[in-house]
Order: sequence, then C-alpha cells, then structure tokens
Amino acid sequence: MNTTSKSKGAYRSKPKNTSNGAWLEITKYSFKTALKSLRLEKWINLLTILSVSIGLTIFCAFIIINSNMSSALQRWAKSFGVVVYLNEDINKEGEDKLKNHFLQDTDIEAVNYISKERSYEEIKKTLGSNAMILDVFKENPLPSSFELKLKRGYLDPLLVKEKAAKISQLDGVQEVQYGEKWLSSLNTIAKTIKLGSIVFGAAIFIAVTFITYSTIKILLHRRKDEIETLKLLGASSSFIRLPFLIEGFFIGTIGGTISSLAILGIYSFIMYKMVEFLPAIKFVVTSLPLFVYLTIPLGGAVMSLIGSFIAIGKIRY
Amino acid sequence: MILFSDVSKSYEKKAVLKSISLIIKKGDLIFITGPSGAGKTTMLKLIYCSERPDSGHITVADWEVSKLKQQEIPELRRNIGIIFQDFKLLSNRTVFDNVALALSIHGMNSEKIRHYVNEALDEVKLLDKATLFPQFLSGGEQQRVVIARAMVSKPIVLLADEPTGDLDIDNAKAIMELFSKINSKGTTVLIATHDDNLFRASGKRVVFVNDHYIEKEYIG
Repeated sequence: MNTTSKSKGAYRSKPKNTSNGAWLEITKYSFKTALKSLRLEKWINLLTILSVSIGLTIFCAFIIINSNMSSALQRWAKSFGVVVYLNEDINKEGEDKLKNHFLQDTDIEAVNYISKERSYEEIKKTLGSNAMILDVFKENPLPSSFELKLKRGYLDPLLVKEKAAKISQLDGVQEVQYGEKWLSSLNTIAKTIKLGSIVFGAAIFIAVTFITYSTIKILLHRRKDEIETLKLLGASSSFIRLPFLIEGFFIGTIGGTISSLAILGIYSFIMYKMVEFLPAIKFVVTSLPLFVYLTIPLGGAVMSLIGSFIAIGKIRY
Repeated sequence: MILFSDVSKSYEKKAVLKSISLIIKKGDLIFITGPSGAGKTTMLKLIYCSERPDSGHITVADWEVSKLKQQEIPELRRNIGIIFQDFKLLSNRTVFDNVALALSIHGMNSEKIRHYVNEALDEVKLLDKATLFPQFLSGGEQQRVVIARAMVSKPIVLLADEPTGDLDIDNAKAIMELFSKINSKGTTVLIATHDDNLFRASGKRVVFVNDHYIEKEYIG
C-alpha cells in the first residue's frame, strides 16, 4: 500500500476546498452558528448576559468608590508633614546647615523654615481673641522649626518613623513630631482598599467566568447529538469549539457593554441628584476615565471566553 | 485501500473480533454480513476510528488508523462517508443544511456548498424536499438524505451500516442502486448488512463474519 502521499482520485478531489479561504469560511460559519444559538437559546443567553452585566456593574461601582477613596487618601497624604523643632540655642549657621542637609535629602520633597517669630505670630493668629494667654510669657517660648514634606512613596509609617529617628539625632534638633497614629490609620485604610480591590476583582472574575462556563456547559449538553454527528463527519475540534467560544465572547461583550452603559447612567443620575444638595460634590467625586468604560466590554469578553474555553474542554473523538 | 491485519477487538473482555484479516481494493463494493452481534458494525467503527483495535493493524488509504492520534482522526473521517443505522440527522436543520454540514466542515464557501448540495440532493431525488426538516420525511427519504450527506464531499470510502434496515423492498432497491452508482464513480463501498436480499445475485464480494471470525468469502 502506498504510504507516501494521500492520493486523491479525480472524483474525490473535486469538491475539496483547501484554499486559505477555508478558515475564513469556517469562521463565518461559526459566527452564523453562534448568532443562531443566541437567538434560539435566547432565554438562557439573556439570563447569562444579565448576570454578567450585574456582576460587572457591581465591580465598576466598586472601582468608582475605590478610586474616589484612593484620591481622597492621596489628598490627605499631601498635607502630611514632619515638623522638626530646633534647640533654643541654635545659631544661624546651625540652621543653615540643617536646611542644606534637608534640601540634599532625596526623600524630602519640600523644606519650609518657620522662625520663632513666625511661629509666635501664627499661634497668635490661631488663638484669636484668646491670644492674651501668651502674655504670661516674658519671652517667646516657641522654638524655630522646619516643616518637611516627604515624597509620596515615603509615606510608609515604618519608613517615616526611621526617618524621624535619624533627623532627631542631628545637631541642633530638639524634637521631631509627625502624626504617627494618623499616618498609620491612613496606611491601613489604603492597604485595606488595595486588598479589597484584589479580592473583589478576583471574586467578580471567577463569578463571571463561572456564569459563562455554566451556560456553555448547558448549551453543549443540549447540542451533544449535533456535536457527536459533527465529530463523526470529521469536524475538527476547532470547528466544534469556535461557535461556543464566539457565543461566550458575545455574552461577555454584550454583558460588559450593558454594564458600562448602566454604570455611566447610574453615576450621571446620582451626580445630577446630589449636585442639587452638595454643589461641590462634582469637584470631589470623580467618575472613571473613558478608556475604563471601553475596557469593561473587553474584560467581560475575556472572562466569558475563558469560561467557555474551560466548559468546552477537550474534544475527544 | 482498506486493510485489516490480524485485528482483534473485545468489549469488557468479551471478544467481538478475533484475528480478522481482510484486504479491500480501491473501487470495490463489498458486503459484510453475518448474524447480529457478529462484529459487522465494529468492523466499520474500526475503519472510521470510533473504536480502536486491541491488537493488529488497520489501514485506510494512507492512514494507519490503529495508530492515529486524536487530532488526526477528523481528517480521516472527512475522507470517509458514513451511513449510520440511526441516520444521525439533525432535527433542527433542514435537509439542505444537514447535507451542507459535511461541506461546511471543509471550510467551503456557501456558493460552492449550494452547488454540491443541490447536485447530491438531485442525485438522491430529494431536491424538492431540501427545505423540509428530516422528521417530515419517510424512512426511505431520510436514508437518502444520509446518503447525500455521505457522498456530497466525494469520499474515497463509503461505509453503510444496515442501510436498508427498516426500509421496504422498493426503497431498499433504490438505495442499492444509489450505492452502485456511487461505486461506479470510483468510490470504495462497504455495506454491513444482515439482509441477504441485498447481495444475492449482485456479483459482488461478500464477507461472512460469524463467531468473531471471517467464516467465508464468496461472490453474491
């Protein structure tokens, strides 16, 4: 028996289509089959799309809340500073030396010198009508100080503590003060938000993937006779898989698009209503960037594709 | 074309075929016959790789079927036309779409599909029923749709498992005429049947399988 080539008789070879267009035709067929299935199995598909969109909408709402909380934290973090109180007996040369030291420190973003006199004036201004209590002091009791703004990446409580300890060792420094507890709380909140985003994101990812997985599994079961026939006729595994993957892709994309539109609508509505009572809210609460709204359908599509892919599994002949 | 070399097959330790050897030449039309449970269907299943032999070798054209990997099976099957005992027609597709399926899997464009499907349906005299669903056809008509589906992609081998099982004499005769016509165009045809009316006086080779062995071969 000849085993070197797959000899094809004239009769046999006549209708074969081995051109490069074969894949295009198979893709077209798969799209048609997927769209037909979406139409024929409309209830289960509608339910899946709805579930996917609800999941993604909740996720988007969480992202909006999360990003607003993060930006609020960042605004608070901006106001954070370390105050370095200087010794009573420090002279001008000592102060300049310290100032140069702080200016050369790459972890420090800004250095602000506050003289004894300015401190006195500021506290007087703060006390207002009660400023007379300062009269009991014969001399200005306040020390001169430096207010240091640390770089954003340096707002870890441990790093700040370490930095404060080092500064307090410098000549001419009496005391270093910063909101240790405040910074620690800020840090805990930021970490919780970050962790919450990861956990919640993963949960939504698994949920959406599982929803599509279940639907495609049901559709596979409903079409098991068709798949069996296709296998016996010689359909490749990609020919069998592709319509289901496309169906999953459609489910995810439509679900994601609905979610994008829903979150935009809900956000606009809430802002419209809130602005009436709190006009400043529009400057404080921000929506998501436009590209995120465009990414949600893509995200839905990817999650659903993964779910479909797992559901189909291996095609065995 | 088709070679069985010392092939054995059993299901759950119960032997179905024992050391079967058979050579079928290109362009042959042969009948495999024998009592129920003799292993006729298993022989066909071994050819299209729905079952694997426990031992021995099976070759179809250039394919060493017994050693085919999973991903190589579709290509083999695309070159074999199969007529199933239970038809395996899809009830949610029209006659046309059922036949077209065999070409869609080749990646053929719709224009060509239309041409070849109409040609095949014309050959089995069902062109006027192309838009109907299979459940609205008689048993004989359904069998002709299956034949049209099996031959539309011009396979090198046509396998038929009890093709006239539930048909009356006239329909059975018409089906056999179709097989002869397909065979005359060069396609190797293998028919598994217990109905000796099909091969009596046919002048074709008959392989009689009994008690797991090929008991005899003769010209019908």
